[in-house]
Amino acid sequence: MRSIDARVRTLTASLLLSVLLFSGVAMAQEGVSTREELPWMICCFGPFLLISLFFAVFGILWAFFYPIMFLYGVVFSERNLNRRTSDLVLRERASIEHFGKDPLSTLRGDHIVGGIKETGLVYASVVFSPSHWQLLIAWINQLFGGSIDVLHRVISVGRAEAKQRLREQAQAAGWDDVLNVRIDTAEMTPPSKPKGTKAVEVFAYGTGIKFG
Amino acid sequence: MVVNTETIAGKVITQNLGVVGGSTVRAKHVGKDIFASLKNIVGGELTAYTELLEESRTEAIARMVADASARGANAIVNVRFATSSVAGNASELFAYGTAVTVE
Repeated sequence: MRSIDARVRTLTASLLLSVLLFSGVAMAQEGVSTREELPWMICCFGPFLLISLFFAVFGILWAFFYPIMFLYGVVFSERNLNRRTSDLVLRERASIEHFGKDPLSTLRGDHIVGGIKETGLVYASVVFSPSHWQLLIAWINQLFGGSIDVLHRVISVGRAEAKQRLREQAQAAGWDDVLNVRIDTAEMTPPSKPKGTKAVEVFAYGTGIKFG
Repeated sequence: MVVNTETIAGKVITQNLGVVGGSTVRAKHVGKDIFASLKNIVGGELTAYTELLEESRTEAIARMVADASARGANAIVNVRFATSSVAGNASELFAYGTAVTVE
């Protein structure tokens, strides 16, 4: 992590330096316009030109790709959700077969009669997002009020996925049961960026135990 | 030993060493952010962000454990997690719990 930090710092410093250099040259050029100084100008303008070129290319691509991807979402987002739901049902059945019951519980473990040999933390998470098509439907739906089933479905599938991953983590670590399960939901969109990526993170954690 | 229950079954808590915590603020590089925003249009899981949060969670837990062992604890009980978005696409992960010694 530290090396990336250092690289970012160097990049920022060099950008600032080029801005300073550019303004210095511009100030020196004031009132004088000779052709000889042109390469200097290009040299200092270079970074800005590159950045604007990048944005221009990105904007053009965006204008073409966005409608295509939006239509893809219109056609496939419902189907993908259905496919994931049926996949989850199968995986849930497999892990319930492995444990003999649903291993997750919010109990504190006082009910366990036999001894507990070993304990440890288990956690799993998933970041889930509705498609822009579903967001549009939800926006229209919220004009009329009532329950917004589209978003409800997306978040339930996300939560079921997080729970299933927790079961699979517990299975992989060899725990017999998971106690005191908590499910947290956090928004990925920061308040400072209201138009950013719309996604929620579902995080499930609990204490894995091994019976003595 | 890290658990999110109040006690550790079969062990007795002998000493309470106070609240310990660990946090990280992390962001994926711009390329992954752009890719995630593209994936966002069609919906579904954003794998890049799932990975990011998984990595940061592991690091936050490691820092919390380091904090606890610096205090001479051998277990952390009642662990909780909190997530917040600080700025841009950086997110803060915070793990906290009570450092104890158990026998």
